[in-house]
Amino acid sequence: MSERSVSRQKRGKRWYTVLAPEQFDREELGETVAEEPDQVLGRTIETTLGELGGDAGANNTKLTFKINDVGSDSAYTEFVQHELTRDYLRSLVRRGASKVDASITVLTQDDYRLQVQPVAFTTKKADRSQEAAIRRVMIDLVKEAGTERTFEQFVDSVIEGRLSSAIYGEAKTIYPLRRVEIKKLSLRARPSEVAAEEEVAVDVDESDVAVDE
Amino acid sequence: MSESADDKWGIAHVYASFNNTLITITDQTGAETIVKSSGGSVVKQNRDEASPYAAMQMAESVAEQVKEAGISGVHVRVRGPGGNGNKSPGPGAQATIRALARAGLEIGRIEDVTPIPHDGTRAPKNKRV
Repeated sequence: MSERSVSRQKRGKRWYTVLAPEQFDREELGETVAEEPDQVLGRTIETTLGELGGDAGANNTKLTFKINDVGSDSAYTEFVQHELTRDYLRSLVRRGASKVDASITVLTQDDYRLQVQPVAFTTKKADRSQEAAIRRVMIDLVKEAGTERTFEQFVDSVIEGRLSSAIYGEAKTIYPLRRVEIKKLSLRARPSEVAAEEEVAVDVDESDVAVDE
Repeated sequence: MSESADDKWGIAHVYASFNNTLITITDQTGAETIVKSSGGSVVKQNRDEASPYAAMQMAESVAEQVKEAGISGVHVRVRGPGGNGNKSPGPGAQATIRALARAGLEIGRIEDVTPIPHDGTRAPKNKRV
């Protein structure tokens, strides 16, 4: 009996090929199965940078894509997250050296809100003031990158390591650094969501002023 | 099914605690479960549920069903109990991966996805005998 019900379920299901966004040359990410096309929306798929670009050396970076459009037998995705693997991050941590983290929310030029988490590893134990200064540099550079880049350019600069090497170049004058990485980059809000929030925010602001007076 | 019926990949989620082992094979998004199995389906005694032997048996039967569904390889996500509990995967994890590989499934990336708290609730006090 159970076998028959399984086969009835299977008949209704179809496989969808998941494709990367245009930014990543519409490469095939994988396949997913569903009964209805609607069910595919919102699913996320994870690959490594090495698999996407074809070079096996860069497998410490995980990229997550979210399905936002479905065709007849293919699903289209958008970039939602970039993250370093846990074992790679753990391998960078050394005893007697400092790790400087920061978590920064930026608005890109085209109104995407992103959360960026850079991390720096020093060669030896740094003083707190030095750590704070390194963090300051991170925040400034990421904010600056946000104002002059669009979402796609920003993602590109993180994935190719340009943003982290920029931080390295600036911050190594403060204290000798061993390595700087962007450990996480995630999409927090799209332009339409940001705009919707802004509308609400203005209302609150006005009433706040009225209360104060 | 599409033309590439035999080079599909899936994800094997392996939850290995010290009391049980759960194997769930899903598609690449993790949204659709293809097969699942746990220690209790192959052994009688509760204390054997986490044993490497149980894990092997489970992995073999799971691998067979997965191949029937047209999947030739899996990425593995291992996790232990995590959180406040034990951070390392139990004895069933290794055995599962080995058995899956021996059963003819290709193994892709192996990743540890044990939930690590960034400081949450207070940990339980030490057990005393």
